[in-house]
Amino acid sequence: MRKKKISRKESRELTLLSLPAVIWFLLFSYLPIFGVAFAFKQFTPKPGESLFRNLFVNSPWTGFSNFSFLLRSSEMPKILFNTLFYNVIFLIAGIVLPVILAIFLTELHSKRISGFVEMMLLLPYFLSWVIVGYCLYGFLATDEGQINHILQFFGRNAVQWYQSPAYWRGILILIGLWKSTGYSMVIYLCAITAIDRSLYESATLDGAGFLDRTRFVTLPQLKTTISTIFILQIGSILTSDFGLFYQVPLDSNSLQPVTQTLDVYVYKALMQQANFSYSAAASFLQSSVGCILLILSNIIVKRLNKE
Amino acid sequence: MEDYVRPEDSAYSKNVNRIVTLLFILLSAAVFLPVLLVFIVSVSSQNSVTAAGYSFFPREFSLEAYRYLFRSGQYLIRAFFNSLFITISGTLLGIVFMCPMAYALSRKEFRFRNVLLVFILFPMLFSGGLVANYMVNTQILHLGNTYLALILPGLCSAWYILIMRNYFQDSLPDSMIEAAKLDGCAHPQILLFIVVPVSKPVLMTVAVFQVFYYWNSWYPSLLYIDSNHTDLYPLQYVLVNMERSIETITRDAQYLSGMQSYTPPAVTIRMAMVVVVILPIMILFPFFQRFLKTGMTIGAVKG
Repeated sequence: MRKKKISRKESRELTLLSLPAVIWFLLFSYLPIFGVAFAFKQFTPKPGESLFRNLFVNSPWTGFSNFSFLLRSSEMPKILFNTLFYNVIFLIAGIVLPVILAIFLTELHSKRISGFVEMMLLLPYFLSWVIVGYCLYGFLATDEGQINHILQFFGRNAVQWYQSPAYWRGILILIGLWKSTGYSMVIYLCAITAIDRSLYESATLDGAGFLDRTRFVTLPQLKTTISTIFILQIGSILTSDFGLFYQVPLDSNSLQPVTQTLDVYVYKALMQQANFSYSAAASFLQSSVGCILLILSNIIVKRLNKE
Repeated sequence: MEDYVRPEDSAYSKNVNRIVTLLFILLSAAVFLPVLLVFIVSVSSQNSVTAAGYSFFPREFSLEAYRYLFRSGQYLIRAFFNSLFITISGTLLGIVFMCPMAYALSRKEFRFRNVLLVFILFPMLFSGGLVANYMVNTQILHLGNTYLALILPGLCSAWYILIMRNYFQDSLPDSMIEAAKLDGCAHPQILLFIVVPVSKPVLMTVAVFQVFYYWNSWYPSLLYIDSNHTDLYPLQYVLVNMERSIETITRDAQYLSGMQSYTPPAVTIRMAMVVVVILPIMILFPFFQRFLKTGMTIGAVKG
């Protein structure tokens, strides 16, 4: 390719154009990175001094002791288990369900109807967790809730849903999938639409039925999309949706054993216990584990795809 | 968007198609049920809810909750306009910040192109965490209890910049920009008068995503707005603080109506407020769907 000469003036113009975003990234993405230090310090601020002075001069380094305290605390095993448990389920169901739905939806005869279905399944994704929490409340409220009224209609006892952790793993998974499945489905739908139709035609000529075509044409063609989404999800395996685990159960104390995930912990350690060091240590754990896994899974998937 | 499978190519026979269609429509209905319940409860009467609970089949309809909301005075109207203000200014400002960056990144002759690409992508891999963000925003940038706290942190995203950059690269012929340069246009002019007018689809896509983001945002309010600044609450956050909100609404309404004994239909008001938040989304959704889909496809394919 011919290397284009670029005048100084042009170069200056382009730099100028990128400046607003550069400043934003510096202030809101790069400036906070120094805050990683919170995880390795015992934060002892003196009132009236600047944040930098408080963090780097007034607070002693503690090495990895924040991490060891954090990981040895009594609630941490539960929190880590919850985070991984929900994420693994969302990882698997979040690929299987949308792919199946997309495959079946593509074949519908009426485009009008498939467009409508698409819209209805996509809608929950664009509702906030606050709204989702209220929708669920309509069903689960103790006195007025729809489900308790149905239970009573059949002569069963009402359940105090927001006090009964036993049901919530199922409920949270259901709600999580309800909100996100449509979005992933649309991504796969687009990927399926992009597949060359002649592949299907030749498969049909070879006598392949619907299942064979799905197995030998659709799924292999979706491999790139699926692995991209898989890699991104693996990178956030320690990250959970704060809204789902905090706002949807209405921050109910008795549900904590099943709703407490790392993100909820990070928030509560900061805002309710003012425990900066532990909160920062937990975020650092999320961020670094995610970063490493993202890079690793990227390498592995690339190697697998090559074979 | 390309078409789906043509009926004659479809794997379904006529009967199978009928069954699958029916199943999908049932699924759509099931997915919509929770939202429908909220709608129905919001137009039920308080008595009906007390007797039959939040029911799909209320005994009595009533618009009392809405009448109440409209009479509630300052508090809710203010929250509505806060939401509107945050959404509009955040979306527009975001485009103003991101679009020029995307354009600069799309120019192959730009010297810092690769450096800046890494610069915006790195934060996707590693971030400082909540504590750091919180401390920087409150103690260094002093955003606590201001509108800026609700607008600025979500303003830019590497993802949207990449979507726009890809569009500029793929759909704008180099020759067009070269020709403009020969005519003596500087880059800011090219961006404003040539690139932006033909890039409306991708700008709309990013704008639509941002509109939904800001309209739905409540986490920044949870972090940065304390209870002494209720006048900054957006609607979503009013809903988070429902119990206290209902008190305020009651006080406002009693004050305005001059009736101290009047008690609001608290249970249905909640759901009516949820409807006030959802309704704009539902109305705009069919129009926005096309743009959403474009954004999601670009994101997935180029990701």
